[in-house]
Amino acid sequence: MKLHEKILTRFLSCTSPVDKEGYLYKKKERNATYYRRWFVLKANLLFYQERPADRHLLGVIVLEGCTVQMLDSDGFFPFALQFGSGLKTYRFAAGDAQTQGRWVKALFLASHSYLSSLLRVLGRQYEEAKQQQDSTNSSSSFKSLSPPTNSLLVPTLAPFSLVREGRSFSASAALPPPSMPTKMAAKKSPKKWPRRNAHVTPLNGPAPLYGEWPLVGSDPLVEFSKLHDFYGQEVQKAREEWLRSRQTEKEQSEKDLIDLG
Amino acid sequence: MRFNEKELVCLSRQPSEMAAELGMRGPKKGDVVKRRLVKLVVNFLFYFRTDEEEPIGALLLEQCHVEREDSQTFSIAFLDEAERKYLFECDSEEQCKEWMDSIIKASYEFMRKNLIFYRTEIHRLTGKDPLEQYGISDETRFQVNSGSQLMNRDTSSL
Repeated sequence: MKLHEKILTRFLSCTSPVDKEGYLYKKKERNATYYRRWFVLKANLLFYQERPADRHLLGVIVLEGCTVQMLDSDGFFPFALQFGSGLKTYRFAAGDAQTQGRWVKALFLASHSYLSSLLRVLGRQYEEAKQQQDSTNSSSSFKSLSPPTNSLLVPTLAPFSLVREGRSFSASAALPPPSMPTKMAAKKSPKKWPRRNAHVTPLNGPAPLYGEWPLVGSDPLVEFSKLHDFYGQEVQKAREEWLRSRQTEKEQSEKDLIDLG
Repeated sequence: MRFNEKELVCLSRQPSEMAAELGMRGPKKGDVVKRRLVKLVVNFLFYFRTDEEEPIGALLLEQCHVEREDSQTFSIAFLDEAERKYLFECDSEEQCKEWMDSIIKASYEFMRKNLIFYRTEIHRLTGKDPLEQYGISDETRFQVNSGSQLMNRDTSSL
């Protein structure tokens, strides 16, 4: 497949934001050796070359359909980009833990799909905020506002955190929504729901890592019921934990004679 | 220049709303219109021979200019090569509009600008930064002035 390189190299040198750049070690699979390279992260593309001043680009990695894994090692700060079964795993190493952490986070947030999800969420929040403001501004005798109709749909991305899984860390935050089956032919049907960007999930990729919140696809009605169930379970768990902790508290308070009044 | 070809081919096979057989013409003199399966996935435009599984090529849709050529045809030109246009012939005016719209909106940089707009507006309307709850409010990627290269340069020495 031909990748029109000139378009990419032009994009690299244009004035659009550089999201991160710096030295990292990159492992060459052929000889299992790490080579120091200068990396430039722009949008969802990771470019690399030998030195910052070099005109010659060694390569580019398109950051779609991969998971980022922070690996644990003594005195060595490796991490990997995993594209899934049958596909590549790129291995890197940073000079220190801070650099390692920053790159892992930066790479995780780099995908088009992530931005797409974030945009969807914020778009909804924006519409709600505008509606609320419009109702406060209008001269209505009702003081209380009805809750936003889709407030439960708003938290669709988990807060970013690094989750330890055995010896490796994984970035934990909601990944792009699962791909919806669509016909290959162009559709001319009237769009009932706002147009969504193409979803990306590797066909043979690893199971997506889900954060605390389930992801909402583009059909709010279908996902609402799932969210409802999910939150129901969460509430149940939280309640049980709270009851348990109350029990131990009660037991303790009977022993202590501290006046809390 | 090396790139993750296999992974990109895999990406091209993702379901996409924007996939259709269009007439496509390359930018070089002498290029003729050929029927291609054109598919938009994230910010890439893949094009296939109609019966093949692997795309012939991929165009990154950043720093590009999308223009209406006639009622059913649009073109894509890339930065500083305004005369080198890729032409796409659609079956209808509506399809043409739909493609142009989708391509423009698929650009990462276009989406980033929208995000920054929403973030700023939500903050203005509610007093809260919507990115805080996701732990990404400090990420330079989503800042208003994210064009500063100095901020993003990693100064740790290896």
